[in-house]
Amino acid sequence: MTDAGDKRGLRRRDLLAGFGAAAAGSVALAAAALPASRVASWDIYADVLVAGSGAAGTCAAIEAARAGANVLLIESLPRFGGSSAMSAGVIYAGGGTALQRALGVEDSVENMVSFISRAGGKHPPLEKIQLYCEGSSAHFDWLVEQGVPYSQQMSQGMAVPQGGESLYYSGCERAWPARELALPAPRGHVPVARGMTGGRVLMEALLAQAGALGVRLQASVSGQRLIVTSEGRVIGMQVNVGGEPKTIRAYRGVVLASGGFIHNRDMVRNYAPELYDCSVPWGNMGDQGMGINMGIGVGAAALRMHQGFAIVPLYPPDAVLSGIVVNASGQRFVPEDTYYGVLGDAIAFHQQGRAWLITDRRGEPPAGQDNFLPVARGNTIGDLADQLGFPKGALQDSVAYYNRHAANGDDPLFHKRPPILRPLQGPPYTAWDLAVDKAFFPAHTFGGLQTGLDGEVYNSFGEAIPGLYAAGRTSSGLPGAPYIASGLSVGDATFFGRRAGQAAARRGPPS
Amino acid sequence: MSGMLARLLGLGLGLLVAAAGGQAQTDPVDELSLLQGDPARGRLVFAPCRACHFTEEAAGHGNGPNLSRIFGRVAGQQTGFEHYSDALKASQFVWTPQLMYTWLENPLGVLPGTTMMSAGVPDPSRRADLIAYLQSISVRQAPSVSR
Repeated sequence: MTDAGDKRGLRRRDLLAGFGAAAAGSVALAAAALPASRVASWDIYADVLVAGSGAAGTCAAIEAARAGANVLLIESLPRFGGSSAMSAGVIYAGGGTALQRALGVEDSVENMVSFISRAGGKHPPLEKIQLYCEGSSAHFDWLVEQGVPYSQQMSQGMAVPQGGESLYYSGCERAWPARELALPAPRGHVPVARGMTGGRVLMEALLAQAGALGVRLQASVSGQRLIVTSEGRVIGMQVNVGGEPKTIRAYRGVVLASGGFIHNRDMVRNYAPELYDCSVPWGNMGDQGMGINMGIGVGAAALRMHQGFAIVPLYPPDAVLSGIVVNASGQRFVPEDTYYGVLGDAIAFHQQGRAWLITDRRGEPPAGQDNFLPVARGNTIGDLADQLGFPKGALQDSVAYYNRHAANGDDPLFHKRPPILRPLQGPPYTAWDLAVDKAFFPAHTFGGLQTGLDGEVYNSFGEAIPGLYAAGRTSSGLPGAPYIASGLSVGDATFFGRRAGQAAARRGPPS
Repeated sequence: MSGMLARLLGLGLGLLVAAAGGQAQTDPVDELSLLQGDPARGRLVFAPCRACHFTEEAAGHGNGPNLSRIFGRVAGQQTGFEHYSDALKASQFVWTPQLMYTWLENPLGVLPGTTMMSAGVPDPSRRADLIAYLQSISVRQAPSVSR
């Protein structure tokens, strides 16, 4: 263990052990299944056990309780809310939600399906996308019914609204090529909140609902391993409460909603090396991969484990996007006016983690920002290219080509839109370092357990594991690489979390 | 009052634990000044904290309180931030670089009632870098002429 990253990972795990999470040592071993035959007695009982108090787990608990189940919701940390409570709380919703209709926004289920299924990565989960889009309008109504506050105002900017607006274009809908694949519509639904606290507002409402429905909420209780019968049915969980192992019997089902694994640095390095190099592990410290590892411990398949959210926020202000982003060959590779998740993915996964933003005087970012820093400055593009060591003439060619067409309002390569599209002219020219390990480059994970439409967890042979459900970032869901819109992750977590809770509550006592 | 005393005692224990946890017998004050944090390195050490904390004064509060010019402030008392834990409000901390250094080694250990769900920055030199960055932010914003 030589580098700081390694030490940090170990210390985090040791620290969690202090709360009663994994004992120091292999996380995978700690998460291995516990045969029911070795459980001498049960300490706690519930119909449905939900592990994790973020958006997915809380929605699962709400719906399981509404279905009449006795629900226990456990959280490994002392506070509820998970990474969802630290997020902006954006829910990606459309197809004609009440808020879209109130604001005169045109959208349809088909249009939303087209965007989500075609603007992102290859082979997306089409059945989940279809169901999500068909149910999106009703799901938004449900969130309103739970007490989540929304305003009837819309923002045209690309960043999360700061002025109390509750609807915006939260993704790459208006950028190329997405705008040719689906009619752009604003679908980012944001709770009314000040200063990026939409996630807190969302989770306060949902947790209050869970409490009102009689869900037992237990903090500082961390899952260790699933308890399985000899037939492979999941019937409970061994947990750690203040350093003491306890057993929880779940008569109907267990829902794993314990987040992703960005703070388990060993897991990130092994499963998602590109994300490991990103400068900022983003999210709640409970994202340790315990739910995923407990699932793997009973044979669950884990999908798309290398995928994640890797963003480089260039905006706000949007005007910064008048610059061009180039790779180590001095060439453009992405429409700069796309969603920052698409840009981040292109850099982290397709350009070896290296890129530079080239601006002219007018396009300089606001003074004092330190998301990304200047590494070269000059009176000509050639000066920059020399300082950066780009291949001879490459950056000059890129800028000349770009300028020639931008002067006519065209971008033949990536179809950037005016007025952001304009020729780069006017010194000083500046190159800003957008490398994954130099810029502010937040990352978290999207890989997780394979689940069906009701959150049922599948093993590697395509069989559902009886009694086991998963949702949110413990599962592999709608969000993939590239991440095409804010709100898909929390949207997926709430929507499929609800379904997992309903399904877990439906299951009768095991025979 | 006894609750507050218990929390202050808790802080005292935290300080002792932190001092004992460091390999050297130096007290935390000396340790921080010996480390000579680098604000340039600290910029990205601090970055995960930005999920909740803004450093530009004009940005106001996020899920956590604003950290522009945090040093010298009494903990848990910034106007407009409504989500302090009772533990922090009662702590009577004054944020100094040294206290921040102790706090960030293990926030939940120092103040178990805190609502800041962070594992802190256990590595001493990285922690010193983070504090140097926060100090540089304060300096940068101090002569706020155009506000």
